[in-house]
Amino acid sequence: MNALLAGLAVLIIGDSHMVTRDYLITTLHDDLVAQGANVDSYGMCGANAGDWVYPTTVSCGRAERHAKAGPVIDRKAGAPTYTIDALIAKHHPNLVVIEMGDTMAGYGQRDFPRAWIYQQVHALTGRIAAQNIPCAWVGPPWGNEGSSYHKTFARVKEMSEFLASAVAPCSFIDSTEFAKQGEWPTIDGQHLTSAGYRAWGKDIAVSLDKLASQLPRRQ
Amino acid sequence: MISAAVLHRLAVGLVVAVALAAVAAAVAAEGRLYPSGPPNGVAYLRFVNLASQEATIVSPAAKIAIPVDDAHRIREFDPVPPNSKLTGTVQLGSASTTIDLTLKPNEFVTVAVSSGTDGLTLTVFREVPSDFNALKSSLGLFNLDRNCADAELVAGDSHQAVVTGVAPGAIGRRMVNPVKVELAAACGDPTKAVPAKLGALVAGDRYSIFVLASATGRQVVAQRDEQAPLRP
Repeated sequence: MNALLAGLAVLIIGDSHMVTRDYLITTLHDDLVAQGANVDSYGMCGANAGDWVYPTTVSCGRAERHAKAGPVIDRKAGAPTYTIDALIAKHHPNLVVIEMGDTMAGYGQRDFPRAWIYQQVHALTGRIAAQNIPCAWVGPPWGNEGSSYHKTFARVKEMSEFLASAVAPCSFIDSTEFAKQGEWPTIDGQHLTSAGYRAWGKDIAVSLDKLASQLPRRQ
Repeated sequence: MISAAVLHRLAVGLVVAVALAAVAAAVAAEGRLYPSGPPNGVAYLRFVNLASQEATIVSPAAKIAIPVDDAHRIREFDPVPPNSKLTGTVQLGSASTTIDLTLKPNEFVTVAVSSGTDGLTLTVFREVPSDFNALKSSLGLFNLDRNCADAELVAGDSHQAVVTGVAPGAIGRRMVNPVKVELAAACGDPTKAVPAKLGALVAGDRYSIFVLASATGRQVVAQRDEQAPLRP
């Protein structure tokens, strides 16, 4: 680590991988705090990128965490969504980290919903770019095949390759490069074990640390 | 619960109500905790009024009027359910014709309304684009001029060809670097190209350039594409 994240205000947003205590809202958040970043994390279960842009309600809970405090998790469906504009106005981040992919990849569908994904992604990155804030988009991990989520390695690969071309001006962090297919066990095909979230959080933090050297510093 | 924003869109969208109902029903039927994209896929439909008077689109769910000014004559792409019959009518003055469309998943369909010596004409442009790239701009040339057998899009003073060989009723498309460039649509002689006023191209955005015949000669209508959000 180069300690380049020290002092940066980092806003992390994500899907269900951020809405349970041992998930990224703990592991990634802690790793960045340990590097001296001022971190605010938000997760919305089942959320697509557009749900952070167009106000609606969450389908299966939401969570948030600030600095060294513990995560506050609300499992109720129907709570209002967080919106990216409001979070940026509240926290004035130097860097926005977006963890999202599994909710948009169309697992179980024959046709990869390319146009719809692009619209979702473009809507969210456009709001961040409009405020000239650097951003990094973290793609989905491999997970496991054969679950009720219908996640497949082929679709994860397709999604990751598509996100790599779709998330600019955000940088793309390809989570499939962190582990081999099936290397990180899951509890349900999609969500990792605690050890998996520790490994994923650490690998994302290392990637962000490398990226931080390229970030413009606010005066 | 459907939000106020969704209700507003219901009031103005042609077939969004159909899409929302289908999506909501599918979600409820599957009972999935983590929806992964639109349950039944999604397609996109838009209407463009290239006639000389206001056009009215009527569906089972809504009725909208599309004016003729360049700022409003190209509507946004509305998400609609694929593999479902979409019906309605288009009215232009006293003329009327029916809409009967079924879209494929990921398909983008543009229904262009135009007027001419033969009255109301609907031209349906279909494409399943794959060129979504946040570092590039995508230019689509839509040829509605039946007297232009070979429409092209040219750039700059040298009239460098960007898109070529677009037959009437067809679309030509190309990804380009997002730069500020003077674009124009031509038919045969590039020196007689008609400017397509798009301004500086923005990375990640998509654009439509329509070529049509009018009483005053060849006309070009150009605009950045907009997509309405899907709100299940």
